[in-house]
This record gives sequence, C-alpha cells and structure tokens, in this order.
Amino acid sequence: MNTASRPLKVAVMSFAHTHARGYVELLLQNRSVSVLTSDPGIHSPAETRGRTLADELGVDYVDTYHELLAWQPDAVIVTSENAHHREHVELAARAGAHILCEKPLATTLADGEAMLAATQAAGVILMVAFPVRFASTFLHLKADYDAGALGDVFSVRGSNNGKLPSAREWFTDPALSGGGALVDHVVHIADLLEALMHAAPLSVTAVANQKLYADRAKAETAGLVSISYDNGVIAAIDCSWSRAETAPTWGGVRLSVAGTRGTVDVDFFGPRVHGLDSASGVPLELPYGPDFDAALLGTFLEAVGTGVQPQPDGAVGLRTLKIVLAAQESVATGRTVQIVEG
Amino acid sequence: MTLSSLKIGLVGAGGISNSHLPHLLTLGADVYVFSDAGAADLVARHGGTVVDTLDELLAIVDYVDVATPTFTHYAVAKRALEAGKDVISEKPLARTDEEAAELVQLAERLGRRLYPAHVVRFFPEYVRLHEAVQSGLLGDLAVLRFSRSGAFPTRTPWFADRALSGGIIMDQMIHDIDIARWVAGEVVRVSAVSNRAGTAAAPVEAAHVLLTHASGAISHVAGIWGPAHLPFTTEYSVTGTLGSLEHSSVAERNYTAHLLEAAEQGGLLPDVDPAENPYFAELREFTEAFGGGPEPRVSVVDGAEAVRLANAALLSLETGQPVELVSRVDASAEAEEKRAL
Repeated sequence: MNTASRPLKVAVMSFAHTHARGYVELLLQNRSVSVLTSDPGIHSPAETRGRTLADELGVDYVDTYHELLAWQPDAVIVTSENAHHREHVELAARAGAHILCEKPLATTLADGEAMLAATQAAGVILMVAFPVRFASTFLHLKADYDAGALGDVFSVRGSNNGKLPSAREWFTDPALSGGGALVDHVVHIADLLEALMHAAPLSVTAVANQKLYADRAKAETAGLVSISYDNGVIAAIDCSWSRAETAPTWGGVRLSVAGTRGTVDVDFFGPRVHGLDSASGVPLELPYGPDFDAALLGTFLEAVGTGVQPQPDGAVGLRTLKIVLAAQESVATGRTVQIVEG
Repeated sequence: MTLSSLKIGLVGAGGISNSHLPHLLTLGADVYVFSDAGAADLVARHGGTVVDTLDELLAIVDYVDVATPTFTHYAVAKRALEAGKDVISEKPLARTDEEAAELVQLAERLGRRLYPAHVVRFFPEYVRLHEAVQSGLLGDLAVLRFSRSGAFPTRTPWFADRALSGGIIMDQMIHDIDIARWVAGEVVRVSAVSNRAGTAAAPVEAAHVLLTHASGAISHVAGIWGPAHLPFTTEYSVTGTLGSLEHSSVAERNYTAHLLEAAEQGGLLPDVDPAENPYFAELREFTEAFGGGPEPRVSVVDGAEAVRLANAALLSLETGQPVELVSRVDASAEAEEKRAL
C-alpha cells in the first residue's frame, strides 16, 4: 500500500458515467495522487470517450483494464455502466485495490451481494458514490437530528428531479442502466435517509409512467415511491426526470423532514443567482456552492490512506438498491412490496 | 342579485364557522346560527342570530351551511335537504362512501343543490394551475406533487379520532386529493402510508398518498399535522409534456417582517390575501348559485368522489396494499336506475 513517500495511485475504470470526468479533474488537481485511466471498447462517435477524452482531460491512459490493474493501483474508481459495476468491482478487488463505485451499486441483488462478498474476501474498501450526504446542509440537518432538535422524526419528503440523461446513451438503455428514473434517482434520497436515521426500510410502494421524454425513453421517466421504515418513519420520493431539456439547470435534490419538534427543509442545490437573458427572455440561473463530489472523493482517498472503511459502504449501496428493486417490482405488480433484511 | 332578503342557517360554531359567518354577513345574508355549543360566542364575535334548535333554524332559513364536525355532516345535510333547503357542506361531504353517495342521490331526487366546500379550488394559485392545465399549457400531465403542512388540530378532540374525522387524510389531505383529481382527472388506484407520533397532548400525524390517474399521470399527496408552532404551508409541483408549474406558499410570500414583537406562529388555516379571500369567493359562488347564478366550480359528485378517494387511502392503510378503484358510477344514472325500480 501507499506510504507518504510516493503518491497514491488511483485508477479510473471506464468513462461511461459522466462523473468520471469530474473525478479525473479533481484527482489531477491533487498533488499527492497519480492517476491512470482506461475506457476500453468501441464507443459511439457521438460520445467523447476513451483516449480522446483522456487526452482532452490531460490524464494518462491505457487501452485495457489488464494494463490498468497491472499498474497496481491503491484505489480504483468504477464509473462504468451500472450493469457492469459487478464485473469491474470484482476485477479491482482481485487486484487488491480499494474501490469507489458509482451509484447505484448494481442493477440486481445478486450482483450487489457478489460485490460485497468480493471486496470483503479481498479485504478492500468498497465505498458507494453518494455525494449529497457530504453537503454541509446535510451535515447541519444530521447535527440537528442527532441533537434531538427535530424531536421524533415521523415523515420525510424527498425529490431528486433532473433532465433525461442525454450525454450518454446507456443511461436510458435498461439493459445497461437497470431501468429508468427509479434506478437513477431514488438511491440518492434513500442514502440520505440511511445517513440520517440508520433505519431499515420495511415496505415500498411505487407508481411510474413514461409520458415525459416519451420519444427517447426506454423505461420510466416519472416515478413516485413511498417507503415505510422500521423506526415508524414514512417517506416519499419523487425520482422523476421531470426537468425539461430546455431548463437552465440540471435539476436538484430536496428533502423535507418533519419531527415532533419541528421541520427542516433542505434544497441541496438551491443557491443560485437569478436573472434574465434579454434577447430571448429565458431565465438565467447560475448555481453556486461547494462541490459535494470533492468532499466525497476526499473522504475516499483519506480512507484509502488509513484503510478504514468509510461511509457510505457497500451495505448502504445494497440497502438502497433493495429499495429500487422493490419499487420496480411494485410498479410491475401494482402491489406494495416487503423488503427482506439479510 | 342581492342576498339581503336571504336567510342562511349556519350549523356549527367551531373553527371554520369563524371564517364562514363574517363572509355570509358580508354577502348581505341574514344568518341564523345553531350549534350544540359556542353559538352565542360566535354571534357575539361576528353578528347574526342564535337559534336554539335545528328544527327552529330549518323553519326560518332558505339555505343551510353545514360547518359541524365531519362525522355529523351527513345527518345535518340530510335533514336540511329533506326540509327542502339548498345546502353548503364543509368538506368532507360525509365520513363514509355510503353516506356521501346517499347525499348525492337525495339532493338529485329532491332537486336541491348541495355544494361541498372544497375551498382550495378557490385559492388563486390552484385556480392558476387548473386554468393552465385546462388550456393545454402543460400538455399531457405526467407527475404531480402536492403538500400541505400545519399544526395538529388539538382544539377539539374529534380530529384526533380517525373513526370520527378520518384523520389527516380525510380532513386535511382531501383538499389536495380533490385538487389532484380536478387537475389530472379521475383516479384508478390509491395507496397510502401514515404515521402518528408525539404524545396524546401533543400529537403529530403524517401521510403520503400515491394516486394513479386514468390518464396514466401519477400524483403524490403529502400531509403533515405537526407541532403547534408549525406554520401552515402548501406546495405543488406539476409537470406535463409541454411544461411545468410549481408553487410554494413560503416562497411566494409578499410581506416579510422581522419585528421585535413577533406575530403568533402556528397554523390551522393558510394565510390569505383579504382582498381576494378564497373562503369569501367560495361562499359568494355558492350563494349566487342558490340565487340562480351559474353552477359552482365544485359539484356534489366531486365532493363524494373526494370522500371515496380518501376512504380508499384509509383502506390502503389497513390492508397495506394499493386499492384499485372501480370506475365511478355516474350519480344521476344510478339515481335514474333507482327511480325505475
């Protein structure tokens, strides 16, 4: 493993997820890290990937994962298509690297469980990339919650709305993404509730449709999910890709928490400068605020240094995945679905 | 028309009567108030005339405004209809589906008007939403969210008794359930989760209701009866294929004060602009209809359907499963059938 005498070796597996670019940019700014990337395969000419993207970012690149892992990285960031997370996490674990895996953990329960088993067997860290819990506003909420300022929390509302992902085709291909808006957006709110309450979800009810972006979507674009937790809390999540493609910003994440001593509403990506484009009359919105990905990545790199498993870990990834799978089953059957712990 | 010659009987002297009575008086009506308790105090505050029995009231008035607790709406409205009166009923129209359906049929059979007071249809932000959707501005609706939060109504005990009030879903969330149906059309499936916490003296209650509309649109209705200091707030967010609209009562405040002597917080009713008071607009529209004006924007069938959806949500709480709704039997057709038998 690394020592203070040499930089931490961090490998990025795949540029499939658009977050890969952001991670690479952050890593390149970090003087105590050396970065190597790989994004093998044949990519759509419409998407900037592979060596082209690496050159654009100015990051070192190899053509195969074999070469990438032969570099003996201390840590691997898996930013491949959701359905390929298992394969790549297993490869990285076998190479003895600590792993930060893009969310959602996987697209099936079997894959998720196999990933936990592989990383446990290899004795490496598995962290799942849920950045919103690193927002200072969430830490504020968590402090209020832990101090009892909210009293007994009894209800939560969350929304994670965005545009139909368009920078990468696979996001809307259920074979690679695992589904639509339910897969993409439920897990962020579910992770926040994990971090806040440490409660187990008991049952899930969901409804969905495909009215928005109907010409391009191959899965649900709107979804509403209600969840009952074992601490009595009821939660509801709007995970819809309900942000118009023409909107000035991508969307956002909001959380409203109600307790016996009061309520807290958080708009995680809320702060922005508002204005108007004079020529078109279109609103200008210029969001500002800290980059949650930087805090997430910093926590991961620190954990790689210490070897201590950080949160959110694979177990959180698996529990949030179970909520998604239950929501998908509920949509398919029209029934409320119980979640089995284990 | 003028209401100066009109006599209206207000039954009940609780919270909402304090809103209805002054508006009825402003409309120029002679208002007679009957209540088991509190009528004298109510009249002393606002005006009007106390009467001692419901029979006496029915003998005097032309129209009746039922503002009693939920579980008595059916019996009072029924007596008023049978006495030949046109009736305004506070929401919910009745506590049970059967009572609501019976009132629909009774009004139809007797040729009386019966209007459920779904006042949110008169709040300008919801009127804007409805108009926008009707005009096609948002296209085909896909996903809707409604939220309503305020203090738990602890002033009288019946609100806390789900058998009597139907809890937060039947009492408070029925507003947004009605709006969701008004905006996005008939509902074919309902599911609900709910939670009661706090203490007997300081209870809180919440529910989430998911609706699937016949069009395929989906709605989430959230309700909070929170601690006593919680201000009354509402939100909605509606997205269709051509656009979206959202509103937050907190975000759209047009008067912000940070005064040393802070005003009392905590809310059972929303803040309204007195120049455009929705409760007044509602009673004006109903009473004008009584006088031969156009039919109001909310019908007795709407009121009965809101009750049916709220009761379906309550059933979902019991069964732990979504409730499929058989399509609504047209009230007049059913009444027709009954007459034929």
